[in-house]
Amino acid sequence: MNSAPPARGLPGPPDSGRPPAIGRRGLLRYGTAGAAALLAAGPLTGCASPASAGGASALKVWDLFQGGDGMLMDEMIAAVSRGSDGFDVDRTILDWGPSYYTKLAMSAAGGRASDVAVLHLSRLAGYAPGGLLDPLDLDVLAEFGVSEKDFAPAVWKRAQHQGTVYAVPLDVHPFIVFYDKDVADKAGLLDSSGHLAPMGSPEALLDAGKKLAEITGKSGVLFGHVTDTAQSWRQFAALYAQTGASFTLPDGGPPKIDIDAAVKVVTFMKQLFDGRTNPNNLDYNGAMAAFMDGRGGMIMAGEWELPTFRKSGIKHLGAAPFPQVFARPAVYADSHSFVLPHQNDPDPARRRQAHRYIAEIVKQSLTWASAGHIPAYLPVQARPEYAKLDPQSSYAAAGEIAVLDPPNWFAGAGGNFQNRMCQPLQSALLGNTSAESAVRQMVREADALLRQPNPVA
Amino acid sequence: MTTTAPAGAAAPPQPPSATTAAPRRRRSLTRGGGLFVLPFLVVFALFLVWPIVQGLWMSLTDASLSLRGTEFVGFANYTEAFGDPDVWSSLGNTVLFTVISCVPLVLVALGMALLVHSGLAGQWVWRLAYFAPYLLPVTVVTLIWTWLYQPDIGLGNQLLTSLGMEPVGWLSDESVAMWSVAALTVWWTVGFNFLLYLAALQSLPTTYDEAAALDGAGAWRRLWSVTLPQLRHTTVLVAMLQVLASLKVFDQIYILTKGGPNGSTRPILEYVYDVGFTGYRLGYASAVSYIFFAIVIVVSVLQLRFFRQEG
Repeated sequence: MNSAPPARGLPGPPDSGRPPAIGRRGLLRYGTAGAAALLAAGPLTGCASPASAGGASALKVWDLFQGGDGMLMDEMIAAVSRGSDGFDVDRTILDWGPSYYTKLAMSAAGGRASDVAVLHLSRLAGYAPGGLLDPLDLDVLAEFGVSEKDFAPAVWKRAQHQGTVYAVPLDVHPFIVFYDKDVADKAGLLDSSGHLAPMGSPEALLDAGKKLAEITGKSGVLFGHVTDTAQSWRQFAALYAQTGASFTLPDGGPPKIDIDAAVKVVTFMKQLFDGRTNPNNLDYNGAMAAFMDGRGGMIMAGEWELPTFRKSGIKHLGAAPFPQVFARPAVYADSHSFVLPHQNDPDPARRRQAHRYIAEIVKQSLTWASAGHIPAYLPVQARPEYAKLDPQSSYAAAGEIAVLDPPNWFAGAGGNFQNRMCQPLQSALLGNTSAESAVRQMVREADALLRQPNPVA
Repeated sequence: MTTTAPAGAAAPPQPPSATTAAPRRRRSLTRGGGLFVLPFLVVFALFLVWPIVQGLWMSLTDASLSLRGTEFVGFANYTEAFGDPDVWSSLGNTVLFTVISCVPLVLVALGMALLVHSGLAGQWVWRLAYFAPYLLPVTVVTLIWTWLYQPDIGLGNQLLTSLGMEPVGWLSDESVAMWSVAALTVWWTVGFNFLLYLAALQSLPTTYDEAAALDGAGAWRRLWSVTLPQLRHTTVLVAMLQVLASLKVFDQIYILTKGGPNGSTRPILEYVYDVGFTGYRLGYASAVSYIFFAIVIVVSVLQLRFFRQEG
């Protein structure tokens, strides 16, 4: 290192009586301190400013809605922010996916979480038991016009943990099918009212795929699942529930699954996506692009893709609940809901505001429905404006036959369970493995997850 | 304040050996640039040493992301990790990726540097073209390649089918996916190694090469016996950096395949992320990280030894 000899450190005689001049180092020292102070002061004054929307008094809300959904949520927040008793909302949008749930868990574990947050109902079992969520006060909610009777029982049940309500559902978002009405019409798949006719059997869906492929000259049914961590599970879960069998994940394992039914379902999925009439090797974006390009007549996807398909060139877009091909109707779904992430020392007045906010925003869900989601708040579903929404209203019934992930701490949207179920399913659809060994692997994976020590109990 | 050692400051300029005891104390602090290094040391201790210690402790507990209290569990996490097939398979994937990415990343970079150095016309164009991909963020690179790898409409399969060949499941075939990831990585990062090689080539003395030419050595002979031996140190550096970088692979795989199909591209770091952040099991994730950390250290030491012996 090359530093100056220390004896020459400071210029000028020290005993001159004048205040010592600030030297090179002093300047550096003070300068750095000053710059640090300036930097530190910036954000602090920003926080203290009462004029900004993100002021200390504003209600802090976390959600994971981006793109079209994000803009609709903006609209709904704007609607509840108007007027004298309007809310001052400080909204934080986080990237959807596993990282959202990591951040939510960490903020709640720290006890200084936002006032309100969005949670998929399928994740409740990983949050409520560990104390990451605070229970809702049903009396306060009722005061603001929201109570149990306003929700479908299947959904309301999943908003509870051990009889306590922890969430207010905003929507039900099922895995459905979109189809090109013109193509489906030529293939003879529409009923007299111009909607997709019920299938009723696996053969009927296989046959529909062939007919659609004939019309498009390319593919019939499209499904993007390659490298996706949720799609094949959604499809499997829908079809499996249709067989009437149940899949549960009791703590400590082993998982309870009807192997025969599961093999039947995976075998059917392999038949359906045989790689000829229906391609078996598409990823999510590839399937979306193929459908919008007219290279397929039908796509199995989430209803949240409605705005994207609307913007595409498809003239007559149809949508229907996931086709029933086995014994009973069932669709895979999840639900965005509002929760109160745990706070160590909640302010009662703010908590009350949080309840009022949740009630008010749920009542705005007609706006939310325009993106394709089914409003969970039944009074909105009953409104004539909702009935007029096409094709949304054509799959509104999906909410009543919704099947969510089996509840356990690791299951649910963005969780490890869906990812690990998707891996063998993907492998089976790609033809790398048999239906039997895919199901065996699913059981093994579920068992391995169940044997892990529960980090939230 | 303004002066920490008035006695020394008051003294007239003199050789350091003649200073008194007080300035010597002061010198010991400043001579090595102690004060200048201090901020770094603080950051180093705060953000590297402390987390390493904390992580080691965490790996001996059942720490979780949720509110539950933490308990000491001894080596239970390590025992679990050694018996966890996912740890071994993801470790295997990491090693596979390291092998199949490092070799071309060194050889292709060397080839490109030699080509450019051989005096190709339009030097700056080549330099830019070879280095440009390195400037792209990982998300952009991955997005581009996702489309290139599309089974139906991707450029890769379009080319193959136009040549009358069978399409390839770039990201869907378990035996191909890791090679696809490696190809992307080579395209993306080879520019950095290329620059290192090019800089080394440009600083080589030309005398040996000229002497060899005068002695009648052909271009290949000169490359093999004169240029490459002189590049040995650069090769050591490039190979070491590359092995460490490849072992730490995570982002492009996470975005491109999420570790699929069927876990065939999941590297060990993604497994750590999965169990730690998606699965809340921080204690277990720490244990797996420390096992990996140990492996990385062993690999680095072995590499260093190996190259030192060569020298």
